[in-house]
Amino acid sequence: MDATASSKFSDVDEYGFKRGDNFDYKAYSKFMDGYLKTLTRRRMKWEAILQQKDFDLSNIDAKLKRYIRKGIPGPYRPDVWMKISGAAAAQQLNPNLYKSLLELEQFNKEISDSISIDLPRTFPDNIYFDTKKDSLYNILIAYAHHNRDVGYCQGLNYIAGLLLIVTNDEEKSFWLLKHIVENIVPQYHSHNMANLLRDLAVFKELVIRRVPAVNRVVENMGLPYAVIATKWFICIFAEVLPVETVLRIWDCVFAEGYKIVFRAALAMFVTHKNAILECTDIAALANLFRDVMIQDSIVTDCHGFINAMFALRLKRSELESLRKLAALNKTTT
Amino acid sequence: MGAREDEYDYLFKVVLIGDSGVGKSNLLSRFTRNEFNLESKSTIGVEFATRSIEVDGKTIKAQIWDTAGQERYRAITSAYYRGAVGALLVYDIAKHLTYENVERWLRELRDHADQNIVIMLVGNKSDLRHLRAVPTDEAKLFAERNGLSFIETSALDSTNVETAFQNILTEIYRIVSQKQIRDPPEGDVIRPSNVEPIDVKPTVTADVRKQCCQ
Repeated sequence: MDATASSKFSDVDEYGFKRGDNFDYKAYSKFMDGYLKTLTRRRMKWEAILQQKDFDLSNIDAKLKRYIRKGIPGPYRPDVWMKISGAAAAQQLNPNLYKSLLELEQFNKEISDSISIDLPRTFPDNIYFDTKKDSLYNILIAYAHHNRDVGYCQGLNYIAGLLLIVTNDEEKSFWLLKHIVENIVPQYHSHNMANLLRDLAVFKELVIRRVPAVNRVVENMGLPYAVIATKWFICIFAEVLPVETVLRIWDCVFAEGYKIVFRAALAMFVTHKNAILECTDIAALANLFRDVMIQDSIVTDCHGFINAMFALRLKRSELESLRKLAALNKTTT
Repeated sequence: MGAREDEYDYLFKVVLIGDSGVGKSNLLSRFTRNEFNLESKSTIGVEFATRSIEVDGKTIKAQIWDTAGQERYRAITSAYYRGAVGALLVYDIAKHLTYENVERWLRELRDHADQNIVIMLVGNKSDLRHLRAVPTDEAKLFAERNGLSFIETSALDSTNVETAFQNILTEIYRIVSQKQIRDPPEGDVIRPSNVEPIDVKPTVTADVRKQCCQ
């Protein structure tokens, strides 16, 4: 390919994902020139704090939070995620859980079948992932039998798959998946998806408050927020945004919780405001959300995108009151 | 991608439903972009694409909605049926269970879609001849008994994909255009049976702009 020939970057990224045909090597190269230096600096800083004796990663003070927002270096991610999220502590309380789930006499056939359908459909564009399909099956089947309310929900394949790519460890992936599904976004993946519906309503309200003109366009065209944002929320942006951007978002999600998911979703709208306002029909708008804004230079610049997320004014208390309102609306309609 | 599709006489919303893995997304991409992806990904939530075709010299713009096949996603898709005038109910000819579940999908349509929705039963993956588990005649008979039209397609080798969409859109067009002769076009907006607060206004079933200009 011409674009790659003239680029120092391969057509496969560092996690094994093939870059799309429209990947902008020039813009990426420009971004990476600066970002590589940032990465090196960050790595040294993280090395320094991780070497401190008795440094407690489960106690997220202002300094640690700042470090995390600036990005956890790749090699440290598995352990740091486990500790800052509390997944490591949960595992310590129940060290045999994962193994015992895999040793169950029998798995529910319906669940096993639906997972099997999705295995070949998980990251087919990743050159390493073929060898990880058995591990992915194990994580998903174990979790489905651990949490019967959720069982297997399509979308968990992408979360677990990306966890597996990052940690290269089935058991850690299981515990991090459990943490996301039960503590970060509970009742998103359950059978009635109750909290997903609630949070889609909350998100719409946030858009109305922060970028009303954008909401008017979306509403006038008749594109439901469920179409735009279901995958964002269900997969926490896995298999939506470029991998490095997703991982930077997840760094913060594990440290700070669900609020980050709203920050990221809102930042998608705010940073693409002009593009949305320029859409003249629903097809163009749907295409913008589905194809364009998930891989453009704004989101590929993970650093810039994270900064945009944290430039937004957003308080947990506001989200909580919007959630109450959404629940109220649901019971009255 | 095609030209901007601003000009049309009719706008029809059609939904793709059926079990997970039967090939709904590939039918959609084959019809709207003439693409097939062997390395397809599972659809999460709802996808959406459009294409315009000609019937009787009229331009019909089809707005086609595709969704995750997993049952729990029905929670977000009640809005999905709103305003839909057609449904392609897809099963996999090589997987009998996906055919058995057609009944369940019909119930789903009965509960959530307009009662006049035009339904076409689609046996996809007809290229998998050696793996066929659902005989054509059986499905045809089932379709007849339930008042559905029927076709077998292959999104992989393109067989009948164009025809399937052409047929259902033509069928809808005939119904809608006859209705317009009988009734005034207003009041023809399909009312949702189950309104979720997350959604916005309904899609209008037929664009009658041309009539206004005449």
